[in-house]
Amino acid sequence: MLLFEKTLYRLMAASLGVFALVGLLSDGLAESLQGFIRLQQHPARLINDFTVVGGIGGAMLNAFIMGILSLLIIRINSIRLSGPTVAAVFTIIGFSLFGKTPLNALPVIAGVYLAAKLVGKPFKNYILIGLFGTAMGPLVTFLVYESGFTGPAALLIGIVGGVAAGLLLPAVAVAMLKLHEGYNIYNIGFTSGFIGLFAAALLAAGGQDVGIRVIWNDQPSLLLILLVPVLCVLFIGWGVAMDRKKLFGNLKNILQQTGRLPSDFMEIASPGSALVNAGILGLVFSVYLLFIGADFNGPIIGGLLTIIGFATFGKHLKNSWPVALGVIAATLLFGKSLTAPGPVLALLFGTTLAPLAGEFGMYVGFAAGFTHLLIVERTAAWHGGLDLYNNGFAGGLTATFFVAIIEWIDSNKREKR
Amino acid sequence: MKKDYILHLISEISNYILESSPKRMVISLHQEYDGLHLAVLDDHERSDEDIEEISKTLNTGARPELSEYYGSMGGTDLVGAARLNLIGWQIKRADVSRIDKGTKIDLWIGSDRFDSSKFNIPD
Repeated sequence: MLLFEKTLYRLMAASLGVFALVGLLSDGLAESLQGFIRLQQHPARLINDFTVVGGIGGAMLNAFIMGILSLLIIRINSIRLSGPTVAAVFTIIGFSLFGKTPLNALPVIAGVYLAAKLVGKPFKNYILIGLFGTAMGPLVTFLVYESGFTGPAALLIGIVGGVAAGLLLPAVAVAMLKLHEGYNIYNIGFTSGFIGLFAAALLAAGGQDVGIRVIWNDQPSLLLILLVPVLCVLFIGWGVAMDRKKLFGNLKNILQQTGRLPSDFMEIASPGSALVNAGILGLVFSVYLLFIGADFNGPIIGGLLTIIGFATFGKHLKNSWPVALGVIAATLLFGKSLTAPGPVLALLFGTTLAPLAGEFGMYVGFAAGFTHLLIVERTAAWHGGLDLYNNGFAGGLTATFFVAIIEWIDSNKREKR
Repeated sequence: MKKDYILHLISEISNYILESSPKRMVISLHQEYDGLHLAVLDDHERSDEDIEEISKTLNTGARPELSEYYGSMGGTDLVGAARLNLIGWQIKRADVSRIDKGTKIDLWIGSDRFDSSKFNIPD
């Protein structure tokens, strides 16, 4: 283990401690445990706010356990805790507030493990696909709780479904990556949405209802509002202590990166500056959400945690703001509410398109953000909410669209020269 | 070694070399049972800092979690800058040196058993 990894593991432990504390202060241990058990028995398709279903305590305990599980998987496989893995851990923690549970995540990871063994490769080669691939978790819980099967048969079918999705993920993920050429940061979201299209079509053909329902906490507590800002301050403090005098130079380096996949800011600049970048980005988005009066509930905190995680692996203020502004402009132009679930989540997760702004400038970033909102409002229905990273799916479509046009213009310009 | 893997590497390193618009680029491939040596030469003069930066990026060390998944993009993307780190994660070692009016990049690729020092590449 590298020296900086030990410091990062301590930060992960401190962050998980904050989640545990928020859970215990909100509901106490017994109620948190009951809430956690309720979450394992609940369908998890988009959008199920776990702070409503399992209470704040249950949701926090679920996130805490999922965070520990993902860190264990990384450690056991001797993979470096760095930008991509920190992004994976925080994405998993975030989505454990509105969809991921140990029950629905582990079969998908097992499927990716089997896929690796099938082609004679070590699981560590596909570990990121496995961790991010837990976006397909709702397929497991749909089969267990919503498909009409009961008892052990339902559990078995759910596990088989999750393993099957995991088996498909590596092959499809690599193909999807080539479509957008690394300009959609949530590539597994794109991949899971693509697989989800087929899964939803199969389920609908079998007479299943894959309609979207929204459970949304519109009265979050003060502890939920404070959770992300406290984590951001923790990140900034940790980062400043790690980098000291080199911090500003390294931060400048991060801001010069396009953010295109794969951009491990911890390797390119430094672990400390990547943490400070994450803290700053999380705080800026938190302040904006406070300003517009958004609900700091499971999905929104999940979005903020994903931004924090990916600020060590592709996102920074310079490449994110044009995309966010594009989403805001489309929201206002089409008369939608800035605080409604769709637009507010599109604002947070739409930053998956930040590399487009980083590589091709703010106008392309703005246009991508604008387009993203229009697409993402439709895509969840296509896969029936089986892909938790719906914005990753929509972002993949948007990025592929923009890259195709840019590539065509670029190659024709070259021919003229 | 698999043909598509070699093609990805050649394509990505060529993409990088061609970004500096050289008048000459030579690619030499030497395959052995358990590894290969890929040498790329051009006539573009680079500063010491540039050479050090190339060497640093190509010698980042193994990142299995990144090389198998994101490394698949190597040589397939047409827009944006070439990315040497995609190569760096997949190779055993890289030597970057200045030659007469140009640069030579040697990439050594092989399994864990592969020892690049055993190669005898004629100049």
